[in-house]
Amino acid sequence: MIARGLREAALLAALALVPALVSGAVQLQWKPSKTAATRMEWRKEEPLQEGEVRMATVQMWGDKVLWVDARSRQKYEAEHAPDAVLLNEDVWETQVAEFLNEWEPEYAVVIYCDGATCDASHAVRKRLTEELQITNVYVLKGGWAAWQGR
Amino acid sequence: MAGQIVATLLRVGIGGLFIFAGVVKIWDFDTGGSATQAFALEIQNYQLTTWTASIVAAIYLPWLEVLAGLALVFRRLYTGALVMLLALDAVFIAALSSAWARGLDISCGCFGRSDIQVNYPEKIGQNVLLLALLGLLLWLECRKSRHASRLD
Repeated sequence: MIARGLREAALLAALALVPALVSGAVQLQWKPSKTAATRMEWRKEEPLQEGEVRMATVQMWGDKVLWVDARSRQKYEAEHAPDAVLLNEDVWETQVAEFLNEWEPEYAVVIYCDGATCDASHAVRKRLTEELQITNVYVLKGGWAAWQGR
Repeated sequence: MAGQIVATLLRVGIGGLFIFAGVVKIWDFDTGGSATQAFALEIQNYQLTTWTASIVAAIYLPWLEVLAGLALVFRRLYTGALVMLLALDAVFIAALSSAWARGLDISCGCFGRSDIQVNYPEKIGQNVLLLALLGLLLWLECRKSRHASRLD
């Protein structure tokens, strides 16, 4: 019974390879064309979502960056980027004044949180752009892990 | 008789659930395009795989879910489908637990693209229940198989 189950499971895994290979071939190996260029773009590097920026790009901006840590206070207090301001949905009311105190119009604001596309950074970016009308606000691709691995 | 009806409902219900979960990871019905990239990002959020591995998993796993779901519904390669889905669910529970332990703020990617942050206890609870139901179906199949071999 166990042997049969494992044998059948292996057969299912092999069968699933067929449509997966076709799907993968269509999506990843398409001959270059106008639409295929977009399809092929994301196989090389994780694509940027709206408002995201890579660590390499931020590094080119030099000192004109204000870091915003959108993780929990506990994680912020344990470790954070130098001069980063704590700001997330939970502490918005108490921390937004500190953020404004540090912010200068020529600064690019770069927000990081835990995940590669974690929601906290995007939520803070939305509030900064919509409520405070700050335009150059970005979410760091890869979040805290990307900052650590810079 | 009642037990058989319950087992059939469970088999078809769970099979249908996996077919649905697989299809929405293959095709995004909201945008009318491939959902592979979005699912790869969801996998990447767990921070357990490289980007290349996330793409490979995002292309392969949905088809495996669909095929295993179909196998459950149509009762073909049935034992294998149960074993495969038990393994997939166990791996998913382990990945969820790992993300929870690391305090990651993610969406689970269970049913395609989602902006809703995962509620870890709830999601792990649901999957443990699913694991138990799959285990029950496998146990029933083993019992049936033993009974049939005794009659032979």
